[in-house]
Amino acid sequence: MGRLTMRKFLKYLLLLSVLIATLTPVYWMLTISLKREVDQFAVPPRWFSFSPTLEHYSDAFLNRSFGQYLLTSMIVAVCSTFCALVIGTIAAYALARLKMPARLNRKLSLWILSTRMFPPIVTAVPLFLMMRDLQLLNTRLSLIILYTGFNLPFVVWMMRGFFVEVPRELEEAAMVDGDTRLGALRRVLLPLVAPGLAATAVFCLIISWNEFLFALVLTQTDAAMTLPVGIAGRVTQYEIKWGVMSAAGVVAMLPILVFAMAVQRYLVRGLSLGAVKG
Amino acid sequence: MRRFLNAENKKGAGSRVSGVGSDKALAYLLLGPTVFVLFALSIYPLIHAVSLSLQITSGGITRWSLQNFVRLVSDQFFLAALGHTLVFAVVALTLEFLLGLALAVLLNKQIRGRSFFRAGLLVPMMLPTVVVGIIWRLMLNPNFGAVNGTLKGFGLNTAAFTWTSSPRLAMFSIIAVDVWQWTPFMFLILLAGLQAIPQEPYEAALIDGSNAWQTFRHVTLPLLKPAILVALLLRTMDLLRVFDQVFILTEGGPGFATETLSLYIYRTAFRFSDFGYAAAMSFVLLLITNIISAFYIRILQAKESG
Repeated sequence: MGRLTMRKFLKYLLLLSVLIATLTPVYWMLTISLKREVDQFAVPPRWFSFSPTLEHYSDAFLNRSFGQYLLTSMIVAVCSTFCALVIGTIAAYALARLKMPARLNRKLSLWILSTRMFPPIVTAVPLFLMMRDLQLLNTRLSLIILYTGFNLPFVVWMMRGFFVEVPRELEEAAMVDGDTRLGALRRVLLPLVAPGLAATAVFCLIISWNEFLFALVLTQTDAAMTLPVGIAGRVTQYEIKWGVMSAAGVVAMLPILVFAMAVQRYLVRGLSLGAVKG
Repeated sequence: MRRFLNAENKKGAGSRVSGVGSDKALAYLLLGPTVFVLFALSIYPLIHAVSLSLQITSGGITRWSLQNFVRLVSDQFFLAALGHTLVFAVVALTLEFLLGLALAVLLNKQIRGRSFFRAGLLVPMMLPTVVVGIIWRLMLNPNFGAVNGTLKGFGLNTAAFTWTSSPRLAMFSIIAVDVWQWTPFMFLILLAGLQAIPQEPYEAALIDGSNAWQTFRHVTLPLLKPAILVALLLRTMDLLRVFDQVFILTEGGPGFATETLSLYIYRTAFRFSDFGYAAAMSFVLLLITNIISAFYIRILQAKESG
């Protein structure tokens, strides 16, 4: 018995140290965002004892352009998520429910999935040229269009999985009662998959919010930049305002953490595109 | 797991309800927008990239040529970037897999506070990579970073630990950061895989008198194989295309020490405006990614049909 408790104790100790190693760096950024400069550069580092200030937050979001980047990030994430959900959900419905040749269905599904597998840098060059020709460089619209495209395969695969899990009979009953196909989709099927739809939406928001490479390539002006690009532009400068950077980082991170916790139940499924069920 | 490859079997079976005749037309109508968007944003660009890579512009005249691909073989920077990418991917993948598996096994048993640990461990993976970059620039800063500050507290001389700005430690640093961020991903997928394993094989192993290691080796690992392969596949593809964290942490430096393929392609295209050569290099990256994922998927399918 004593040996067993000892083992349990060691296990918890191990888990706890892994957890601390995981979260300490995030906490460190949080402290830097709240510290005055004297405390930021203190050696040895001040983990707990410093007098907190919000000056870096007001500096970043009121005096500098981070408020604008934040707004752009929100607009781009919300619009692209909405478009991808609408377009992708109806396609998923067609793949899950409507009659078409089985081979075509399979081919189409895999093709949709495969478009997500390219390394993004491969399409970055031609898409940059395309947006340049369309005169859409440095616009939010260009990012909304691109992120809709990125999220689309994801939405189709996730929603297809959710649709397949609902028994056909429920819709068929509604259709026998005189509903049309799309009527049954709207009144019967969609309410049943609503949690899955919400989880998919949250994943899309996270993906759009975090995206960096295309935002970097396509937006260079303050008016069109997303928060990650705005932050990156400052980090690679010579004189770095660490407090401002950290404040912006904390703001970029918070909504994502809230969202991620909200979809924990679907996390495995979302991350593996439905390949592993959590 | 089966859903991934065989999900199609269940569908396309048709409906028993009348009025099915218009189904086909409706299906194409509903699929149309998706097909159009994906064609415009991935197939067309891919074709455009092929033609870019096969063209050379000199003196204002554009002509077809294989020169971009010939140049690859003798470009030392390209070969170095390729090498960095492979070293980065192999080392990070190995570490993330081993650590993730260990954590998943540790948390697989019903223990108190499991969901708390699980939620905490997932944090790094969800962060925007740019934020990960800031966090580790703060941690690893040689002068006031928390890592060196703490080491100094233990009385170590940290003058040599310049992390991301030292040619010898920079690669180590970006691998460590990736391991920090993505081990949770391996852990999460493998934990889900472990929890999907039924109890019976374990009971059988117990009756046979297998010890813990034998059970793990002969029961757990084979049954976990599909989840392992999916986790490795997804991680490998992400590691090969790594860009964001490296861009923020080192910008490929110092010198060229951590320049990965994606970074070098980015620089070639968007700093030097050599779009054709960038496209040619990106096809090498695409080819490597495809070969490796085909390899994983083949093992996966062999496993499923067998």
